[in-house]
Amino acid sequence: MAASSGRTVGSFLWKCGNFCFNFNTVSSNLTRQVLSRQLCVSAVFHRKNLAAAGPEKFSEEFIKKQVEEFNIGKRHLANMMGEDPETFTQGDIDRSIAYLFPSGLFDNKAKPLMKHPDEVFPKQRAVQWGADGRPFHFLFYTGKQSYYSLMHDTFTKALAVEKHQDRLRGKGLFTQDAKQISLVGSRWLLKEELEELLVETISDHDYARFIQLMERLLSLPYCSAEEDFVQRYRRQLEIQSSKQQVQPLQYDQHGVAYSTGDGRRKTATGTVLLRDSGSGSISINGTNYVHYFPVLQDREQLMFPLHFMGVLGRFDMQCSVSGGGHSSQAGALRLAISRAMLSFLSEGQVETMRQAGLLTPDPRIKERKKPGQEGARRKFTWKKR
Amino acid sequence: MFIKQAEQLKLEKQHGQVDSGHQGVIRPGRVFLVRWSRYNPYYLEPEPRKEVYHIPETELTPEQKEERELKSVRPIKAATNSVTSSVFNDPVLSKFVNMMMKDGDKIIAKGIITQTLENMKRKQVEKYHKAPEGKKAEIECNPYAIFHQALENCKPVIGLASIQKGGKFYQVPIPLTDNRRRFLAMKWMITECRDNKHRRTLMYEKLSQELLAAFSKEGNVVKRKHELHKMAESNRAYAHYRWW
Repeated sequence: MAASSGRTVGSFLWKCGNFCFNFNTVSSNLTRQVLSRQLCVSAVFHRKNLAAAGPEKFSEEFIKKQVEEFNIGKRHLANMMGEDPETFTQGDIDRSIAYLFPSGLFDNKAKPLMKHPDEVFPKQRAVQWGADGRPFHFLFYTGKQSYYSLMHDTFTKALAVEKHQDRLRGKGLFTQDAKQISLVGSRWLLKEELEELLVETISDHDYARFIQLMERLLSLPYCSAEEDFVQRYRRQLEIQSSKQQVQPLQYDQHGVAYSTGDGRRKTATGTVLLRDSGSGSISINGTNYVHYFPVLQDREQLMFPLHFMGVLGRFDMQCSVSGGGHSSQAGALRLAISRAMLSFLSEGQVETMRQAGLLTPDPRIKERKKPGQEGARRKFTWKKR
Repeated sequence: MFIKQAEQLKLEKQHGQVDSGHQGVIRPGRVFLVRWSRYNPYYLEPEPRKEVYHIPETELTPEQKEERELKSVRPIKAATNSVTSSVFNDPVLSKFVNMMMKDGDKIIAKGIITQTLENMKRKQVEKYHKAPEGKKAEIECNPYAIFHQALENCKPVIGLASIQKGGKFYQVPIPLTDNRRRFLAMKWMITECRDNKHRRTLMYEKLSQELLAAFSKEGNVVKRKHELHKMAESNRAYAHYRWW
């Protein structure tokens, strides 16, 4: 079955021109058949409608065999590259493939690929009815059996929690301040992620109902009993401050600490050399900052990160800036100074700077002019005839 | 990272709340999107004031704690050009400067405002020195305080909307949001100073006169506010024409 499916799919793929290589390196006693190509169905996993993929094209044994082959191939690849097979990660595999098979193609989907079969072959539903044609699941005839069974499960759990609460109320042990599930730092599964989990397509309305039901479960005071169930349908959000790249501090020949930073705003770019010498002098493109920025607002922008951290007189700054106008140059320098200051600050201070809006590059640019209009927003004068 | 927002009325209706990305004019039931943002609505507003970050953990209310935790996982927008952590940074004053500005020339607008504040201070200090001992404490010399109080005195409480019913347009009294009230007060102040004063006086002089008058609840701007209130009171019968 696998071979036939491979052939039919292969012909389909040959038209699409997409190829994935699944390694099957040969053991030493076989002939040189290095690449037994198994053409994978990359076209299928680009299709959005999972339910319409039809009954399974790959049986369970086939997938299991692919997983074994993948693992063996991974070990062979590790040996080839001279790495330890036990600690060979997916990133290492990607790098090795890119090294062994350099591809001049631009499309990432057309380049050679070696990934775990679970990522390559789409998740598909097992056949849902037996040999006599009778479906296994009692909700088969709803059309969305996994979704409705999930809703049933959630509601059953909500009822169980309410029953537990009633029992506690009967005994007189009911308190409002029971331990609550912590929802901060996580978000609900997106509709696409839920579809992937259920291997079924659901509508926006269905998704909204699901979220509503989960919120209802969470509104009960004693819902912490179902925490595992709820957390399965939530994804953790990463802490934003960990995304900041902080350069280590450098020291010059006199032992004075210094760091550099650069920033951009509209079309202006600026670089700053911050020195921890304690004099508080600022020079921009060779001139004093008071002469370079005669406008108060621009000077305030330069001082903003320093004043915010309370280090006004501590640093010496040598700035260079070009492009843009006076406001955008000041904004670019502000970002550069904030970035340079990160090396001198602790984690908590970095987070406060981020929350003050000092570390985000300002994305606003001049809006383009559109055809049929005089400017970005202004329309031509309307003439009745 | 930064997604350009297209007009998404459907998004508005689905989520039933205003994204920060869309600064639209809302009449409940209808949303007119007038502006979109270079930022994804996921981004939160920055908080540039220093004092907020020096409150120790123990003194935070649960809402503030939750807000802090939310901020730690969400990206934050960049602070704008006109905002600093300095004590002299005043959002109301910045808004007033922006409304005074013509053709994007903020330097001139800011200069006028600075001169206005200086002028007000001079006048008040002159009054202070001339006043007898008992009256000295009552004279307000801080120009920022005078500005805020004057603006407060000019803000209308109730506004009028033109609603069509049965072929005729009626002026119906409606409640105003805080932003709208502040905007009207500032607009009236600026138009009053531009139009109804002597041609040869400079803007800062006109503004300082009008602001000091508004501070003591006299002058044309508070008169205009009172007239609006009277109109609203007289049109009270049509109040039920408002459906929101």
